[in-house]
Amino acid sequence: MKRYSLLVVGLLVIASMVLSACQQGTQVVTQVVTEEVEVVTTVEVEKTVEVVVTPEPTPVERNGAWVDTIVVVEEPSADAAVTRLQNKDIDLYAFTVSNAEVAAKVAASPELKSERSFGSYNELTFNPAGPVFEGTGKLNPFAVPAIREAMNWLIDRDYIVQEIMKGLGVPRYTPFNVASSDYARLAEVVRKVELKYAYNKEKAQEIITAEMEKLGATLVDGKWQYNGEPVEIIVLIRTEDERRQIGDYVANQLEDIGFTVTRDYKTSAEASPIWIRGNPNDGLWHIYTGGWITTAVPRDLGDNFDFFYTPRGLPQPLWQAYTPSEEFDKIALDLVNRAYTTIEERTELMAKALELALQDSVRVWLADRASITPMRAELQVASDLYGAVYGSQLWPYTIRREGEVGGSVTVAMPSILVEPWNALAGTNWIYDQMLIRGTGEYGLVFDPFTGLTYPNRVEKAEVVVQEGLPVTKTLDWLTLEFAPSIEVPGDAWADWDAEQQRFITVAEKFPEGTTALRKSVVYYPADLYEKVKWHDGSPFSAGDVVMGIIQTFDRGKEASPYYDASIAPQVESFLSSFKGVKIVSTDPLVIETYSDLWNLDAELNVSDWWPFYAQGQAAWHALAIGLKADGAGEAAFSAAKADELQVEWLSYISGPTIDILKAKLDEASAEGFIPYAPTLGEYVTAEEAAARYANLTEWHRQRGHFWIGTNVFYLERAFPVEGTVVLRRYNDYSEKADRWLRFSAPPIAEVEVDGEDRVTIGSEASFDVFVDFEGQPYLLADIDNVKYLVFDANGELVLVGQAEAVEDGLFQVNLSAEDTGKLAEGTTRLEVVVVSKRVAVPSFASFQFVTAP
Amino acid sequence: MTEATQSPVTASPSSLEKKAAASTLSRLAKYTLVKVLTLAVTIVIGVYLTIIIANMGGEVDNIRRGEIRERIALMVSMNQDLRRLPAEERSKYINDMVRIEEERLGLDRPFILRSFTYLADAMSLNLGRAQYLTSDSGSKQVRLIILERLPPTLVLFGTANILLFFTALFIALGLSRHYGSFLDRVVIALAPTSAAPGWFYGIFLILIFAAILNVLPYGGMVDAPVPETTIGYALSLLKHMVLPTLAIFMSSIFVTIYSWRTFFLIFSSEDYVEMAKAKGLSSQMIERRYILRPTMPNIITNFALLIIGLWFGAIILETVFNWPGLGRLFYRAIGLFDTPVIVGETVIYAYLLAITVFLLDFIYALVDPRVKVGGEGPKA
Repeated sequence: MKRYSLLVVGLLVIASMVLSACQQGTQVVTQVVTEEVEVVTTVEVEKTVEVVVTPEPTPVERNGAWVDTIVVVEEPSADAAVTRLQNKDIDLYAFTVSNAEVAAKVAASPELKSERSFGSYNELTFNPAGPVFEGTGKLNPFAVPAIREAMNWLIDRDYIVQEIMKGLGVPRYTPFNVASSDYARLAEVVRKVELKYAYNKEKAQEIITAEMEKLGATLVDGKWQYNGEPVEIIVLIRTEDERRQIGDYVANQLEDIGFTVTRDYKTSAEASPIWIRGNPNDGLWHIYTGGWITTAVPRDLGDNFDFFYTPRGLPQPLWQAYTPSEEFDKIALDLVNRAYTTIEERTELMAKALELALQDSVRVWLADRASITPMRAELQVASDLYGAVYGSQLWPYTIRREGEVGGSVTVAMPSILVEPWNALAGTNWIYDQMLIRGTGEYGLVFDPFTGLTYPNRVEKAEVVVQEGLPVTKTLDWLTLEFAPSIEVPGDAWADWDAEQQRFITVAEKFPEGTTALRKSVVYYPADLYEKVKWHDGSPFSAGDVVMGIIQTFDRGKEASPYYDASIAPQVESFLSSFKGVKIVSTDPLVIETYSDLWNLDAELNVSDWWPFYAQGQAAWHALAIGLKADGAGEAAFSAAKADELQVEWLSYISGPTIDILKAKLDEASAEGFIPYAPTLGEYVTAEEAAARYANLTEWHRQRGHFWIGTNVFYLERAFPVEGTVVLRRYNDYSEKADRWLRFSAPPIAEVEVDGEDRVTIGSEASFDVFVDFEGQPYLLADIDNVKYLVFDANGELVLVGQAEAVEDGLFQVNLSAEDTGKLAEGTTRLEVVVVSKRVAVPSFASFQFVTAP
Repeated sequence: MTEATQSPVTASPSSLEKKAAASTLSRLAKYTLVKVLTLAVTIVIGVYLTIIIANMGGEVDNIRRGEIRERIALMVSMNQDLRRLPAEERSKYINDMVRIEEERLGLDRPFILRSFTYLADAMSLNLGRAQYLTSDSGSKQVRLIILERLPPTLVLFGTANILLFFTALFIALGLSRHYGSFLDRVVIALAPTSAAPGWFYGIFLILIFAAILNVLPYGGMVDAPVPETTIGYALSLLKHMVLPTLAIFMSSIFVTIYSWRTFFLIFSSEDYVEMAKAKGLSSQMIERRYILRPTMPNIITNFALLIIGLWFGAIILETVFNWPGLGRLFYRAIGLFDTPVIVGETVIYAYLLAITVFLLDFIYALVDPRVKVGGEGPKA
């Protein structure tokens, strides 16, 4: 009997466990560490109004998204993801895979394809303290700039890219990302640097030997000694990625030239207290295998010198040990302060800074890491050059199976629903943000290939900058003007009085009046309020925009009922350059913005005030219920405030705060709550508030969450524990599905050079440059410039010039008799750099010919 | 672990019954008190050691401070607006951000003080808030983080282990009666296969049934999109449980059978079993009364430890099958040095273990008349 009882009890336990796991009580949400993608702009100088001509696809009738459903699942393993792609189990793996074996597997499969992107880059960070460490009394050779500079010759970057990264990277010699407009603009300067610092171990050894002897070190039996002890170099090697092999390679190279090397393998967590927080003079490390990230196409890298080479970069002990030369320091400062008036002047400064940066070399740049996003061959989707697919703003508009409309696409990602979703200070993980961008739209969207902006909900804009600022524009959706002075109108809003809940005008804040360096006027279409609806059915209104403006200030003000100490530094920083905002008209919506912050590209100087917050889009009424919870101390928008108050971090899609939000929605609905009533009440009527709360109540009833946006997909449901999210096509989206289709593939030019194999010195020569994309000639209107560089038989750069446009897809390099007269006898190399207006990645090609008398 | 004692079964005169009962109660109370105190001290020491180890004796504070600075440096490197702030303003901004984050993590208080706070909270089962992790649905409360992952762990490992336990037990019992049979030899021959862990079999099972045959899922807990009906959900769950359950089962079944079989064989050759056989009792009767009954304490101990052993799940197996269990949670918490989550999981396990150990003594006494709780005789 006992035995049967035991059996019955066992079965009951199993059954109860199955039933408990079958509960679908847990709901939606997501999370990761997404970095805010800042677009660094660099722009060309002389251009004024050049319109990019791009082929338009055949119009279609469908609005919004091409597919009906996006199913998102979790798949932590890239290997498994590729197998699942092959088995049609998933359609896209939204991750940047940098594993060479996996990339090879994708390349070998005819059923798959991938989009290539950049993002991270590697370097060697040197400890410049010394030359004798105070902490250990030991010699630090890297205190000497010449030895650091010589490290450029000691490291073979091609080896790193080809052997360690297996081709998934590009060698890098300078602080410029290889795919950036500054790299393209300064191509000849960068190329010179690359040639000068090409791998040359003998030269490195020669310089290092000379400098070590100056320091008093001696080479004994092939090993450097100082004060009778071996000169020890501690290489702090990160272990999580390819930097482990890079660190070993660098250590080997140093050992080869006589140093005694200690390889200190560390994870990020273990290394950071030593290299970034520790005192460099303690002598705990000499070289650190550093890595950085770029998340958007860089358009202005002028501030890299100040950040990476001077003590102004960061208030950390390592940076405070930097001692750039006076000349370099001044140029770096001028570049970060933009103390130039023309692009030519800037280019000169940048060229000089490059030269000085390599001489300083507190960092030796190694490689730009490339990675791939694997997908089914029939899938099309826009991929950002830096952010890949999951960082692209255009992925929701462009994702589709070729030749198909409707259906479902399954997207896998390594992690899903990582942290709570709320638009003000919720999850910043890139996986969450990909989905958030699917449900929330922007006023302006970034071109994934150039980093410039295009209008999405905005109709047009005007930009006015103070005369003397080297701002240029590229696209035709906005105008650019210069003014001797830009007065900020007295009735514009300059700040926020959190106590009175009203804006402080410019006249109140600056009684004497004030000016700004930049003004933008943004115009929304006349039918904005009819066309744009939130997913819960509420029409978009001016209240949504005004709430956005209020949120720029309010939570950083101590008098606010929603004050958040972690936001205060951001608001303070924003106010240091902000001058004012003025809603000129609410219907149609026209907004002027005044600021001292400006960018080189006019397209990046437009403030749209579209209600897409730091971590997502939000309607005023959805925020209102969160504010109620935050103000009551029952939950908080930010993690920092939630921890401070010991309450839950607000999630609009699942978890314990859903019930709190529901209670607040009921309260708001009953009270007709309009947050910041003294101000927002002027833009929102009681009827609108009632209707919106009713809509949101119904939305929650149907779907169990409060996440709404206006984009082409809405969040149907999230299953946090199961790791699944379902997005559905928003049928009421107003714009055509093919609107952004031209961004489905990056138009990176394919270049070929052809010409005479033998050139007589002192005679004319001509070479053809063919520029294509996918087999079609590249339009002349889409090409910014084609530069050529000629290196003679001695490897010296002797000629630099612009190729002449002949027709679409064809340029010509014409060398005069005088030009060829400068060439040495032997094999000459012609290098061509093609810079497109449609993509920030320059294309290179080279051609060799023989020069003879 | 048991401190129960054996004493010969003797008849008591009726006049002494009341006195004996009082004596038993007193002995029981004393034993219980000592046992509870001993276990409590053990838990305190164990949990405090966990706190110290999880924080590497306070070194984690340095790691965190470094990480905060590195994270902010990276953030600034990517934010052109911040990089273009005047140097002093940028420094102030960065220092403010560092300060806020350090305060949030409690790094403004010495570790030694915080370690006692962690201990007090843990002992009172006030699990508090995670420092980095959130539950899948977004909560920062350790209690909810753990509770959310508990059902998937229980359903998978509970099913697999209980299945494994009883299957092994009954097969072993059968084999012990057929010592040397073909099946017995097969089991002995296959026992070394259990040297490979479950996840190892899991990889092959995924390869065969998911990648090649495409008949079972690669991993996860249910299909995507998630079925809307309870029955659909349960069926989907069962489908997703097949491979991981099989992996666990395959990795342990033979060695478990072998182990129980050997155990039963020892008891099968006891004199009193031989005597029972000689008396002509049926084999079922012998099995139940003379083999199973004396081995019950061991079986129950194994079962109880198996049940509380489910608490930590299995890190690698959960990872291979992408199963949202406690094992992966614990692993992430360790990686992030999320002390409250690590301590939370550990303290609950410690309590479960202590309670189990405590209760087992009483259960032994219930199932085995030779055992008396708190008796003076020899240790059982």
